[in-house]
Amino acid sequence: MTEVLHELLRGSLDHCVKCTICETACPVSNVTPLFPGPKYAGPQAERYRVGDEPSVEWSVDYCSGCGICTQVCPQGVKIAEINAQARRKLKQQNGVPLRDRLIARPTVIGRLGTPTARLANASLRSRPLRIAVERVIGIHRDAALPGFARRSFRSWARRHSSPATGRRVVYFHNCGTQYYEPDVGKKTVAVLEHNGYQVEIPKQDCCGLPLQSNGLFDDARKYVLKAARVLAPYARDGALVVGNATSCTLMLKREAREILGLEDDPDLKLVSERTYDVCELLLELHDRGELKTDFHPVDEVVAYHAPCQQQGHGIGKPALELLALVPGLEVRELDAHCCGIAGTYGIKREKYDIAMAAGADLFDQIHASQAGLVACDSETCRWQIEHATQKTSVHPLELLHRAYRLPEPTG
Amino acid sequence: MATLSTDVLVIGGGATGASVVWDAALRGLHVVLADRADLVEGTSGRFHGLLHSGGRYVVKDPRAAEECIVENRILREVAADCIEDTGGLFVTTPFDDPAYADRFAQGCRDTGVDCEEVAPAEALRDEPLLNPRISRAFRVPDANIDPWKMVWAMARGAHERSGARILPYHAAVDVHRRGEEVTGARLRDVRTGEELDVEARVTVNATGAWAGKVADMAGIEGVHVIPGRGIMLAMNHRLVDTVVNRCQMPTDGDIIVPIRTVCVIGTTDVHTDDPDDQTVAQEEVDALLDDGERLVPGFRRARALRVWTGVRPLFEDAKEDVRSTRDVTRAHTLLDHAERDGVGGFVTITGGKLTTCRLMAEETVDAVCRHLGESRPCTTTTERLPGSETGEYYHLGERLGRREDNLRNDELMCECELITRGKFEEALRRRGTDNLGDFRRTLRLGMGPCQGGFCIYRATGIMHGIDGMTAEQANEVLLSFLQERWKGVRPILYGDQLRQARLDDWIFQGVLDVGHLKQ
Amino acid sequence: MRPSLHYDVVVLGAGVAGLTAAAKVAEGGARVCVLAKGVGSTHLAPGTLDVLGYTPERVEVPADALPAFVAGRPDHPYALLGVDAISPALDWFAGRIERGPHPGYRYVGNLKRNLLLPTAVGAARPSALVPETMAGGDLRAERPVCVVGLRPLRDFHASLCAANIARLGVEARAVELRLDMDRSEVNALGLARGFDDPVFRRDFVSRLAPQLDGDERVGMPAVLGLRDPHGAWADLEDRLGRPVFEIPTLPPSVPGIRVFDALHAALRAAGGRLVMGSRVAEGEREGTRVTALRSETAGRETYFGARAVVLATGGFASGALALGSDWVVRETVLDLPVRGVPAPGSPRFGAHYFGEQPMARVGVAVDATLRAEGAENVFVAGAALPGAEPWREGSGEGISLTSGHRAAELVLASDGLAAAA
Repeated sequence: MTEVLHELLRGSLDHCVKCTICETACPVSNVTPLFPGPKYAGPQAERYRVGDEPSVEWSVDYCSGCGICTQVCPQGVKIAEINAQARRKLKQQNGVPLRDRLIARPTVIGRLGTPTARLANASLRSRPLRIAVERVIGIHRDAALPGFARRSFRSWARRHSSPATGRRVVYFHNCGTQYYEPDVGKKTVAVLEHNGYQVEIPKQDCCGLPLQSNGLFDDARKYVLKAARVLAPYARDGALVVGNATSCTLMLKREAREILGLEDDPDLKLVSERTYDVCELLLELHDRGELKTDFHPVDEVVAYHAPCQQQGHGIGKPALELLALVPGLEVRELDAHCCGIAGTYGIKREKYDIAMAAGADLFDQIHASQAGLVACDSETCRWQIEHATQKTSVHPLELLHRAYRLPEPTG
Repeated sequence: MATLSTDVLVIGGGATGASVVWDAALRGLHVVLADRADLVEGTSGRFHGLLHSGGRYVVKDPRAAEECIVENRILREVAADCIEDTGGLFVTTPFDDPAYADRFAQGCRDTGVDCEEVAPAEALRDEPLLNPRISRAFRVPDANIDPWKMVWAMARGAHERSGARILPYHAAVDVHRRGEEVTGARLRDVRTGEELDVEARVTVNATGAWAGKVADMAGIEGVHVIPGRGIMLAMNHRLVDTVVNRCQMPTDGDIIVPIRTVCVIGTTDVHTDDPDDQTVAQEEVDALLDDGERLVPGFRRARALRVWTGVRPLFEDAKEDVRSTRDVTRAHTLLDHAERDGVGGFVTITGGKLTTCRLMAEETVDAVCRHLGESRPCTTTTERLPGSETGEYYHLGERLGRREDNLRNDELMCECELITRGKFEEALRRRGTDNLGDFRRTLRLGMGPCQGGFCIYRATGIMHGIDGMTAEQANEVLLSFLQERWKGVRPILYGDQLRQARLDDWIFQGVLDVGHLKQ
Repeated sequence: MRPSLHYDVVVLGAGVAGLTAAAKVAEGGARVCVLAKGVGSTHLAPGTLDVLGYTPERVEVPADALPAFVAGRPDHPYALLGVDAISPALDWFAGRIERGPHPGYRYVGNLKRNLLLPTAVGAARPSALVPETMAGGDLRAERPVCVVGLRPLRDFHASLCAANIARLGVEARAVELRLDMDRSEVNALGLARGFDDPVFRRDFVSRLAPQLDGDERVGMPAVLGLRDPHGAWADLEDRLGRPVFEIPTLPPSVPGIRVFDALHAALRAAGGRLVMGSRVAEGEREGTRVTALRSETAGRETYFGARAVVLATGGFASGALALGSDWVVRETVLDLPVRGVPAPGSPRFGAHYFGEQPMARVGVAVDATLRAEGAENVFVAGAALPGAEPWREGSGEGISLTSGHRAAELVLASDGLAAAA
């Protein structure tokens, strides 16, 4: 089954007319010669790959998986997806390093880190420790690692019940919210409830995206199918699946089905059809005239960056249109494709500099925009942006929450 | 007039001619090889690249099948670098007579062709795009073979061993007769017009489909080679990694061969009078696409890269007295003209298939030795070609692997086929030619999906820069490449390939405006 | 309740035609969304505005040649649009470039005289409106040319370019510079980013200047900056003390990317939206009106409701028109009727590569107001229109720009929208 789907993606290479448009947009090949570019690694090299022959390449490991190439390709070549398969084959052959196995499991790290948050966070700030970690495990000493929250999102969610309104959504909150930014989760729930949704928050685990990006396909399948089993019953019951992390919702919407070959799983199929990014949902609500627009003015200049995997949804930038509704808020749309972090890519020792170079254009634009704040839908991007520009970065939802003057989260 | 003296003059630089040259050189003879165009420009360069296991013939022509499997094993030994061990499958599709499969299996047993029946599900696991309704499947040792690699290795090897002279672009304009003896030929360099007389003790006519014309030049009658024209389609990527055959009596469009980065479906069979006939009929293209659909559903959605014609030499002896034809097998034909026509110093070898080229050459050089009155044993069953010394097969990933090793050192000038500028410049220096077509054949320049859209401007620019060419010459190179390429894509211009062609038009006519280069 | 968003106008395609139509419609006050399968024509085209180059003789004065040209070709887009529609479109475009994100950058030229610019192979190509950074290359001027090749840019070959220019009677020679880059090959975009940097430029000048002679002007591949082409170009001219001009070459086209950036900025400034990576699979209809576009977004479809639609999806090159292996032509997005398809049995493509190619003239069937046959609120613009052979005529951008501009006017004037605006 997987191989058939692989063949379907491989077939898309026929559409490549070598126009170079993907190369113009690739944030990695534009800054390093170690990655020859999406056209080379995708449709071009694919013609040289034979199913049961060993992988002969190393450069595809430098593809960050941002997916911008597939986005801009005018011919419909599934470039990033072809690269993902090639990368996985390479990693299977060479072995996946311990570091990758570790950072691909945010829930494992999270479960270790949250109970000991203060100590863990202090350790992460310790330079000698970071240098040691870099040497032993391979996470760059300067990489933007988030601080653990003292109490997980789940511990709040467990005690929270949404007013019953009959309009149900099930919230896929993602690991970032769970272990590092529970307040973002709380605000998301508050904004949804403000707009009349009853928010269900079942116990849940990682969507498997970091495992997939690191070539651990079998493990990724286990995780994403587990997530599908949790969410599907709600979807069957008429609820929509809502997430605030655009990478994870993209994983549920299509990446798991396309890259992991899970086209036929009925739970995942249902979930993927019902999954919404929270800004996407709110904008459609607004289109119907049903969004609460009781916004108070927010006097800020905010720059908005759409993460590469938000762009991968193909829905435009709904956050922009939502933020435009908030009086007093001046929104400057940033024009860069990628901040460089690409999930776990940019924290790796050998890729950190590439990631920082890939994001340089974005960082320059942020400074030039003179915005006080940067809005961005993905938590890993926010951490990268804060690390590189020293500017505070928030999820667009947080600005809506502020404009609604909803109570600040506690506990 | 320049003259050259040699033991053996071989006219025809395809697989057969080159094999003769290699065999003769190994036996210590001095040889000259001449072809009116580039080597491997004729039939050998225009087939699908199949190294037969013989499975195709086990029922229809068991003798040919036996020959094929023996030669298959020998070539794997001596020409491994030219061969990719893809393996082959014979499958019974819903369009095939199910009874044939058992006859096929029996035929393999009878002829010694290795054959293993596998469950269709296993075949489909290996080749997921195959027709899911196949009912039987057999594995055989089909493979693919690169005729350019093989021929040039033979030429190089012959030159190294016994100083053989290799003369592409030298057309035979006359075969010299002195009484009842052929003494050589006059060659004309088609690029410069210069002529060259070659005196040879024996002349070998290895021109395949053109053999009749050369025999005429020697004043020998009745050598009728009927050209069987067929078309082949290269698809943009390997839909299958194994050679796939329909399990039935040989017919049109019943085989798909993965070779290099493409897979080739073939072929058709139209009798023609002219071995240079390169017509491609729309109906033939449509028929091949339909045939493709039978083996690989969805074939019509895949991208067709290029179509070309190949002409099979089918020998028919018009002479009454057949006794003199040294007809060792019905598959190929060796005509010893001393025996057949009373004319010494001349032999014709024609027919056959590339898989048996070594055998054809052995018989030919045996005949040559008879003419010379000498006995020299053949060693081509064991002597490895230059480049194949290790006995390791070719792997498709090699070019990619080499590029990966060289990523920071050299620029790619043909991206589809991963040709670096350094490699191209080296080939330019070695061949000293201004015909981009030569590089199409050996380096595969411009043979990828973009069909030269990007690389041909680069190639022309590089050639002009280092070769001392004039702008007029460079322009001519560029324009003639475009026209030549157009011939191969025009009949299959649909779907993705049409999109590519339009982008290429954009580049050549919109951006570069080559059509308005000053004449 | 299905996933949907509503706009006044949905434009399909983000090439010159699509972005022009969308920006102009947005400027007219309507709510616009552009749905694009990917980036397209801008990044591949040279970046010049070719209105009419060959009839097939070379055109010197488009304003004079156009009336005769359309008189003989009633099916041509220019005939449909009216030649008077061209100038206003050019003016609009020039204005958006000037107001665009590239400070000081502008286009020069008009319909009274085609410039004759060298191509990367050294042919002379007529263009009506060109970036200021290219105008210095006009081959009508006799000033000698020094063509500069930049290794490791593999997509430009100075010696061949110069040799062919010389055959046109303009003195020309080539100089090859090897730049210190950390890579074995670079494309035009990579180099253009370098030229945005004053330090890089200074270094470049110090290596080039000693090799220049007399009063020759300097021809370079089109890499003179992505963000600030005017600044880069002016700086080079200043430092070298002689005219400098860009020569468009193989994609990616940096001048083309600048066009995209400028038109995108114009769209944004007017409040329009661009959705990239969204493939429209079908149009929903009510009677003869297309009421929504079904777009394949991740995981499921999203419906974009529209009062009017502009179809600027391109021709065969973009896959908007497709010829199947059954030799049937289809318009792949809205399944609209097409026109100009050669009759069965007559050749689709000519045997000579540079000769007539009948299929090139195929396009979506439209009436005099650019409305598609059978879809009264769908306006067609750009390469999707029938009747032209844009590259042989040298008319591609002229058609795209003029039809996009005109389509916007027609959309704004169409019922329902004039009231909304």
